[in-house]
Amino acid sequence: MEKAIKRYFPIFVLPTMIAFFIGFIAPFVYGIFLSFCKFTTVVDWEWVGFSNYTRIFYVNGKLDTTFLHSLWYTTLFTAVSVLIINIVSFSIAMALTKGIKGTNIFRTVFFMPNLIGGIVLSYIWLMLFNSVLAHFSKTIVSTQWYAFWGLIIVVCWQQIGYMMIIYVAGIQNIPGDLIEAAKIDGANNLQLLRNVTLPMLMPTITVCTFLTLTNGFKLFDQNLALTGGNPGKMSQLLALNIYDTMYGTTGWQGVGQAKAVIFFILVALIALAQNKLSTSKEVQS
Amino acid sequence: MKRKLLSVILSSAMAVTLLTGCGGGSSTPDAAADTSSEAAESTVEESAESTEDTGAAAAEEEAAAAPAGDGSVYLLNFKPESDQQWKDLAAIYTEQTGVEVNVLTAAEGTYSTTLQAELAKDEAPTIFNIGNVTAAQTWNDYTYDLSGTALYDHLSDKSLVINYDGKVAAVANCYECYGIIYNKTILNDYCSVEGAVISSVDDIKDFATLKAVAEDINNRVDEINDALGTNLTGAFASAGLDSGSSWRFSGHLAGVALYYEFLDAGCDLVAGQGEIEGKYLDNFKNVWDMYVSTSSADPKTLEGGTYNAEMEFGMGEAVFFQNGNWEYAALTNPDNGYEVTDEDLGMMPIYFGVDDANEGLCVGTENYWAVNSKASEEDIAATLAFLEWVITSDEGRNSITNEMGLSAPFDTFTGDYESENAFVRDNNKYMADGKTAVAWSFNATPNVDDWRADVVAALTAYTNGSGDWDAVKTAFVDGWATQWQLAEEAK
Repeated sequence: MEKAIKRYFPIFVLPTMIAFFIGFIAPFVYGIFLSFCKFTTVVDWEWVGFSNYTRIFYVNGKLDTTFLHSLWYTTLFTAVSVLIINIVSFSIAMALTKGIKGTNIFRTVFFMPNLIGGIVLSYIWLMLFNSVLAHFSKTIVSTQWYAFWGLIIVVCWQQIGYMMIIYVAGIQNIPGDLIEAAKIDGANNLQLLRNVTLPMLMPTITVCTFLTLTNGFKLFDQNLALTGGNPGKMSQLLALNIYDTMYGTTGWQGVGQAKAVIFFILVALIALAQNKLSTSKEVQS
Repeated sequence: MKRKLLSVILSSAMAVTLLTGCGGGSSTPDAAADTSSEAAESTVEESAESTEDTGAAAAEEEAAAAPAGDGSVYLLNFKPESDQQWKDLAAIYTEQTGVEVNVLTAAEGTYSTTLQAELAKDEAPTIFNIGNVTAAQTWNDYTYDLSGTALYDHLSDKSLVINYDGKVAAVANCYECYGIIYNKTILNDYCSVEGAVISSVDDIKDFATLKAVAEDINNRVDEINDALGTNLTGAFASAGLDSGSSWRFSGHLAGVALYYEFLDAGCDLVAGQGEIEGKYLDNFKNVWDMYVSTSSADPKTLEGGTYNAEMEFGMGEAVFFQNGNWEYAALTNPDNGYEVTDEDLGMMPIYFGVDDANEGLCVGTENYWAVNSKASEEDIAATLAFLEWVITSDEGRNSITNEMGLSAPFDTFTGDYESENAFVRDNNKYMADGKTAVAWSFNATPNVDDWRADVVAALTAYTNGSGDWDAVKTAFVDGWATQWQLAEEAK
């Protein structure tokens, strides 16, 4: 039986492979190819070599810092949002697994923001922010830091509920006898958290940090709707910067594509490193 | 180990989706195009009709359209507000002639994205909109030379075209005018208020007078409200610097400064030149300062997008409002519930303090029809026939003038098909008085989105007090040269 499956493996896997090829591999490879071309529509290209890549950083013989700015701005944004989202959602998850009254209602309420689309959500928050900030003669795009914290608040509000659900599932999976044994051995709450709960939760933490990390790097909707990259292009995250290059600057489609390739390599490297780091900390009970 | 390997594979697979998600807008249509091009090639070899030196894309179109015999029309419409009118018009044409006409309207702000995706398809648009010389440059491979077509022959003002690369790349489908919209009724009543600085609206003939009137109204707004029973909050409507409004200043107001500079330099008024010196930026600053200081909006929050200038003017909270004749439909539409009516609406030139005695309204357009040169000959013929029908038939003319509310620049629009737009009437009056129309010089802006974004950022900083005027100058003058050079390189 197993032998037969092995023999017909290519046939069974073929439909999926074809779909995967059409949906991912082909556009991906073609995308990398296009990053070395000058093109207006994707069927009309002209090979230009690495000039798209140099034009990301050098424009008219001068250093262009827009991309570098959005790179560190995005990195900072991701770092802050990963920290806040994970710490807060873990705390809420801990609180909501203690069996207090109304746990289900709380969980539902915290999860709800995640069901609203990013654009709609951001426009609603935009109104809220601006009507409050108007009292101080400021707006959400007054400086890049107002925009930064605005984005952080919106993204946290949206994602904390989602991560909370994953943490809740993880916490509930910790065997009760393990905790009981630790308690009998005289562990206090802090020791219980540090030596039992956290190590047992490492797989969950891997998933949650991975999700928040990549979500942070590729954030687009909220950026577009909440700040639009203003003031200037100072609050442009990477994804918006690429979009802007692609469609905003004449003849720069290739440069936008080159930025997208760099973006991919960067996100892939960080995601792999993060994955390796946190999986190495996982333990077996 | 196995589990680790699996997690590495899964996470890299996820990372791959990031890139495809990003480049998807451009890459995905291609997968389809690739497979079909191979199928199409064999057909092309047999028919071998392709005489023009077009690329593979054109060959595809040829093959796709050839079996049908007659051509079809595909219009990629630019104005979301006239989507239904174009669809109705297309249905009538199909009914009368049997020629298939497809209409697709791009959502607000996504025209270039949609156009880019649609032109890569086998069934590409045969008519699309381009707005300026930069767009003509971008789509140079796709624009058909319109000289000698009926569309071009009917054009009453032959300057309303985009000439690029030795051909008539696009022909205007409407012309528009902008200036300072004012509330005639309130301004007339103001003249009778004690201490008014003018005795008749016609006294406003230059920038100094306009400024004096705006300041007087703004300073004594409560007194004037008591005297006239109005509910003004300021003289000018708010000068919002958010993306929904900032083009009024980085585009239209800057256009007046560019116009006078180009006029002095003697270059083409709508094609511009690579270097500007910002000769009239001081006038730009004076007008801008007037807009900001005589409005009730907080100068520190103009970029927030919380102001709605159209509503302020429509509800009679402001007397002046810089915008164009396209506002007529919105201001008089009963659904919007505005207080102003047709009789209240007037438009005066943006007096710039340069040649106020002769200055008229700013007349031009950002709406030009271009025909896809890579479409098959049948499709191009069908497309040109359709466009001619639109501007000569009763149905077409009625739809354009009365339903879409546009002012068409063709000699066929006479009698019943003349525009009823109050602002266009004002424009005709200025022209009859011998004023000089200000050309839309901002159409020359290189990399228009980037240039404007920088100017708006500097203008915002200047207005909220965190920056100075020199930064605006730099963004305006140096930014122009930089973007021009970039646009040249991209050719």
